Order: sequence, then structure tokens, then C-alpha cells
Amino acid sequence: MKKLFTIITIFVLGGTLYGQTYNTFEPSKTQFMLRGYGHTGFEYMDSGDETESTFLGSAFAPIFLYKHSDRLMFEAELEFALEGDELETGLEYADVMYVLNKNMTVRAGKFLLPFGTFMERLHPAWINRLPNAPLGYGHDGIAPSSGIGVELRGAFDLGGPKLNYSVYSTNGPRIKDGSEEPEEAGILEFENYEDTNLAKAFGGRIGLLPFSDSSTEIGFSAYSTSGTGEQDSDFEDIGAFLYALDFSLVKQIPGLGGIVDAKAQYNSSNVDTATFIEMHEDGDEEEYSFDNQSNSFYGQVSYRPTMSGSNFVKNLEFVARYSDFNAPEGAEWEEKSKQYAFGLNYWLSWRSVVKLSYQTTETEGGHDGDGITNTDGLFLHWAIGF
Amino acid sequence: MKTVYKLSIALGLMAVFGLTVVACSSTKGNYTDVPNDEVAETEFKLEKSGAQLWGETCNRCHIAPSPSDYNDTDWETISLHMRIRANLTEHESKKIEEFLKSAN
Ligand code: HEC
Repeated sequence: MKKLFTIITIFVLGGTLYGQTYNTFEPSKTQFMLRGYGHTGFEYMDSGDETESTFLGSAFAPIFLYKHSDRLMFEAELEFALEGDELETGLEYADVMYVLNKNMTVRAGKFLLPFGTFMERLHPAWINRLPNAPLGYGHDGIAPSSGIGVELRGAFDLGGPKLNYSVYSTNGPRIKDGSEEPEEAGILEFENYEDTNLAKAFGGRIGLLPFSDSSTEIGFSAYSTSGTGEQDSDFEDIGAFLYALDFSLVKQIPGLGGIVDAKAQYNSSNVDTATFIEMHEDGDEEEYSFDNQSNSFYGQVSYRPTMSGSNFVKNLEFVARYSDFNAPEGAEWEEKSKQYAFGLNYWLSWRSVVKLSYQTTETEGGHDGDGITNTDGLFLHWAIGF
Repeated sequence: MKTVYKLSIALGLMAVFGLTVVACSSTKGNYTDVPNDEVAETEFKLEKSGAQLWGETCNRCHIAPSPSDYNDTDWETISLHMRIRANLTEHESKKIEEFLKSAN
């Protein structure tokens, strides 16, 4: 009886003990994280003879991160946005990454391109200090935002200064030949999922942080391809060369009682000259060509009074941004635009911000025809990352 | 051929630009070349802490999260993600990860 009792006790206690060791919530080696961001807002636009205002349906971008080991990882971002009465979906990126050694990581899949820094590092709504991208990015922009291919990237410690690099090859852009949208003939389209020729795009960025406090970074990016047209078409050998310069400075300046954040990027796009066809209303065809060079620039400064005694003031941020965009003369999409944007932000947390912004844009030419259009816009956006 | 030419100009420019800035930037204040053991030791101790690196690095693109925002396992994933996305050095990202995990 006594024996049996002892055995039972051992079993029960042992079991509990075993259970306890088993349930110590040891972290698993692999880990899956679901994250992302969303934003919504209200916009009012006035372009002289036309005014419009709208609440924006929210955009929702879930991000999946899977870490298999200290070296192997996968990232993917889906995008859902309500635009023009429709639900638009997109696969922003989906790539695998493997750390080869201390200074080199390989990535493959669809990834955000390190062409400058705006698209890769600064465009998510909870990071961007203003409700929209500067001129020259996004739809009809000249800077490539993502690509399908492979990339090597890494960083070196130079004993104070730091150097980082990335080099990649992707499917590359496609030139719009004007057969479908004559008014867009000559524009490079970067969002292609399949390649139509053998020419691949090659590119890279080199970034240098010259000071040991990492406050400043300057970068140079290049992107080149020897063919943008479909194989065996007239545009097969139309090559393109793009480059970008970027600058970033983030520094706490005690004299100003806060953090100053300055960002800038210049993009230049140079596409080989090609001949396009213009259809006149009477059915006549006319060949034309133009020097296919575009460029865009933005410079932004923001300031957060982080050293203020008041909790309210601490969370405020003041922003100003200038951007311009120049599309080639002689193209159907010839345009010269300039924009000034001013903003006041309130940070609810490190990843949630309410942005109030006023922007004024002067456009000469562009999709709306000739002449100069002035558009004033008032934006109220709320972004959150999670 | 034309693009190859352009690309080589670009790479050449990159190299010249990079080297000039590296050559011009001073590393004074981080290292001294006084071959004195005592100095060397204090210099060694002056190596930046994870907390300092976190303050300098994680603020560059977005506002830096605080250690308490995530648990240790999350910090491991985030550190690897940021190391790759933000092109951080292994040293930076390891030190910051240690700090974040010790202070949450
Ligand atoms: C070079 C720019 C850059 C730097 C420096 C940087 N981040 Fe990020 N960080 C990003 C971007 C861009 C995202 C958004 C990724 C996305 O949504 O695709 C992000 C996202 C995050 C997230 C959300 C979760 C995730 O992994 O996407 C956390 C947490 C984070 N960063 C922490 C940090 C920490 C900690 C540091 C300092 C070691 C840091 N970041 C430095 C650019 C940067």
C-alpha cells in the first residue's frame, strides 16, 4: 500500500515537474510575425475651376515576416486599397533573404529597389512625414520602386564611418510604345511581372555614413538596361540609364531643443531616343521622336521638439517639402511641375501619426493638356503601423 | 556598349566619390594611435553601448521603437529584418539587439 502510494506520488509530482519543464515557453527557433500598416484620411483639392473633396477609404497593408534561423528569412507585403470604386490589391514585395556572411546578404524574389531611399525606406504611410509621395514617384513616376530578380547587399564598418551597398539584376522596365495609350508613348513602366526580352536591368546603390554617429548618409544609385522593348520589336534595343543621389541627416540638436530630419533625393532618367507614331484625328499618321530625359527632385526638412517639457509639444512635428518633376519636351506627356508641401503632425506613438498638410502644385503641361494649372490641396491623414 | 560605357562611368564616379568622402572624414574621437596600454584600455571601454547605437541608428528612417514594444523573440526577427532592409553592419545590429532584449 505504502509502495503504491509512493509510486503514485512520484508519478503525480514527477508529472507536474515534467510538465513544468516542458512548459517553460522556450522561444521556438523559427518565428512568424504578422505586421503591417494602414491609413485613412480626408482630402480637399482646388485647381481653379474644379474643386473636389473626399474621405479616403482606408488602405491596409499586411506584412508577413518569417524568420527561419539567424540567417534565413522571408518577407512579403500585400496591399489593399480602395481606389475609384474598386478594391485594388497588390503584392508590394515577396522575397527570401539569406545572410551569406558578415558583409553580404542575398535576396531573391520581388523586392523594393534601393534606387535612392524614398521607395525602399521612406514611403510607408507611418514613416513618410507627409500624406503623399513627392512628385516623380508612384504612378507615372520615373523612379523604379520594385523589381523581380536577385540582389546582394551588405555593410562595412570603416571604424567610425560605415559603407553599405547593394547590387541587383531584375527583369527591368518596359517602354510604352504608344500603341495602347498614345499619350504615354516613351514612358518606362516598371511594374512588369514577366520579361518580354532578354535584356535584364542591372543596378545598385552605394551609401556612405561618413560620421561615427550615423547621423548623415549620402547615396548614389544607378540602374541600367540595354533593352526596354519587346523582343523583335522596333524598341528592342532602346536602352535606359537612370541614376539617383540621396541624402539623409537625422540629428538631435540641443540648441533647437529637438530632432531635425532632412531628406533629399534627385532622380534622373535617360531613355534612348525612339520613334513613335502620332495618329491625327483625320486618320493621318505622323512619326515623331524626342529627347527622352526626365528628372525629379525632392528635399524635405522636419523638426520634432523632443526636448520640450510638455508631453503635447513633444509629440508635434513640423515639416516642409519641395519637389519638382520634369518630363521630356516634345513628348505627349511633357510636363514641368513644382510643389510646395507644409505639414503639422501629431505622433500618437512611434508608428501612429495624424498628419495635417497643405500643398500647392504648379503644373505646366502634363496629362491635363497645355497651359499652367495650379492645384491647392488640404490633407488630413491618419496612419498606423502595427 | 553604350550602357556599359555609362555604367563604368557611374561605377567610377561611385568609387571616386566614396573614396573621397572616406578619406576626408575624420575618425578622430573614436580611435587614437597613442600606443599606450592605458589609453587603449579606456578607448576600448568607450566603445559605443547598444543603447547609444539604438538611439543613433533606429531613428534614421522612422521614430525608434522602445525596448518594451516587443518581446525577445520579436526583437530577434525585427533585428534581422532591419539589419537587411536598412543595410546595418552586423556589429551594430547585434549590439542593438542585445540592448533591446536586455531592456524590455
Ligand atoms: C534605413 C532605414 C531604417 C533604419 C535605419 C531602421 N529601420 Fe526599422 N524599418 C524601416 C522600414 C522601411 C520599415 C518598414 C518595413 C516595411 O513595412 O516594409 C521598418 C520597420 C520596422 C519595424 C516594424 C517591424 C518590421 O520588422 O518591419 C520595427 C519594429 C523596426 N523597423 C525597428 C527598427 C529598429 C529597432 C532599428 C534600429 C536597429 C531600425 N528599425 C532601423 C527602415 C529602417
